[in-house]
Amino acid sequence: MGDFLQVFADNVHDWFPPLLRAAEVTLELAVLSIAVGLVLGLLVALLKVSRLPILRPAAVVYIEAIRGTPALTQIYLVYFGLAGIGLVMDNITAAVVALGMNTAAYMAEIYRAGIESVHKGQRDAALSIGMTPLQTMRFIVLPQAWRVVLPPAANLGVAILKDTSLASAIATPELMSRAYDLVGQTWRPMHIYLLAALIYMMMCLPLIRLVRYLERGARRGEAEAPGGRGLRRRLAEAWAAGARHGEPGAVAK
Amino acid sequence: MSGFLEFWRILLARLPEFLPYLLRGAVVTVEITVATLLFACLFGLVLALLKRARVPLLGSLASVYIELVRAVPVLTTLFIIYFGLAYLGIQLPSFVAAVLGLGMLGGAYMAEIVRAGIDSVHRGQREAALSIGMTPAQAMRFVVLPQAARVVVPPTANYAIGLLKDTAIVSTVAAPELLFAAKTLVSQTILPMQIYLLTALIYLALSLPLAHLANAMELRLRRGD
Repeated sequence: MGDFLQVFADNVHDWFPPLLRAAEVTLELAVLSIAVGLVLGLLVALLKVSRLPILRPAAVVYIEAIRGTPALTQIYLVYFGLAGIGLVMDNITAAVVALGMNTAAYMAEIYRAGIESVHKGQRDAALSIGMTPLQTMRFIVLPQAWRVVLPPAANLGVAILKDTSLASAIATPELMSRAYDLVGQTWRPMHIYLLAALIYMMMCLPLIRLVRYLERGARRGEAEAPGGRGLRRRLAEAWAAGARHGEPGAVAK
Repeated sequence: MSGFLEFWRILLARLPEFLPYLLRGAVVTVEITVATLLFACLFGLVLALLKRARVPLLGSLASVYIELVRAVPVLTTLFIIYFGLAYLGIQLPSFVAAVLGLGMLGGAYMAEIVRAGIDSVHRGQREAALSIGMTPAQAMRFVVLPQAARVVVPPTANYAIGLLKDTAIVSTVAAPELLFAAKTLVSQTILPMQIYLLTALIYLALSLPLAHLANAMELRLRRGD
């Protein structure tokens, strides 16, 4: 045990800086994937709650196909699969495309639960005063849906931050990739992977705090919300819809 | 257009060769999922009970563990267990490393699920059991846990679906599961699109029925309220 810690003490100043630099790439991957997911996810959600022929079923198939398959398989499909039919991407682009499309499917379900959490009377009232369906969505429904959308969306953000580690499988130069290389150079897997775990904790723990804070806020709003009695259940549904690893949350507490 | 037809012609022509190979991998995927689920349930129950019984030290250790392990990617815990332990002289077979690596996080999830289940049982139930002379352990075993099971089942099913997909990650430590079989086939045939599509379809075929089962169970249990 003493030896083990000694190795840490002797080498941490060599290992920590390169890992931290790689963690920046991890953060970039996460932010880009979330951005793609937020935008594309809203589009898919709007298609799913619409009654458009072809486009609505397409949105449903997209969501089910992505949520039913592993993120790592999707990364391989985008990076190796598309290259196999002539569409070559560098590994950072491939990682963002795959993780972004993955995030969009989960985000779409969160948006949908949020949209459905807004009482139907709100939409009817907006339409009856002459708003178009799009205006109703933009100015009445979506602003109210945020309350339900935000906590599971933040939770999804934590999951994506962790899932960027999968991009190491296509040698994207993020934290796990760099750790893997360092292990190859030093043959100290236990030390270096523990250090990597520590850096992931430094990034994820504050975010997890934020998720809990948002969740408490959303639940406090329950009493005063218009038609808010079912909010607890809606919140749980949105949560389950965005749970990438089947993590329990929200109302489980 | 001809490229498109060629793509499917190749896939169909090689299907009798690819499918059995991938399905053998899928069997291992299911085995890893089931083994990890069992491990996570037991580990999670132990963590939840330690936390709940306020066992000094062990209880707080359980709480800290549940917090921290959720902030680390599965891939990292898997590498710590597979490569890290090997470095310390404990060489685990990839199947065991897979179950432990996935189960570390699974235990934390299951602990939260079990805790929510126990909390859902009315306090009076436990008090009544104690007042008729049951020990706390008996009250937990015969009165509280059987009633908690009802609340525990739907989130456990959700976790099982997440777990099934997460098993793909253990292909990185050469556990011979579905995605690993796919990677091997790709390296032999250089047909990545066809093989990974087929692989994705097999994952879908495994996870969709499970998702429907989970939905059905949840509806049924909710009706019981």
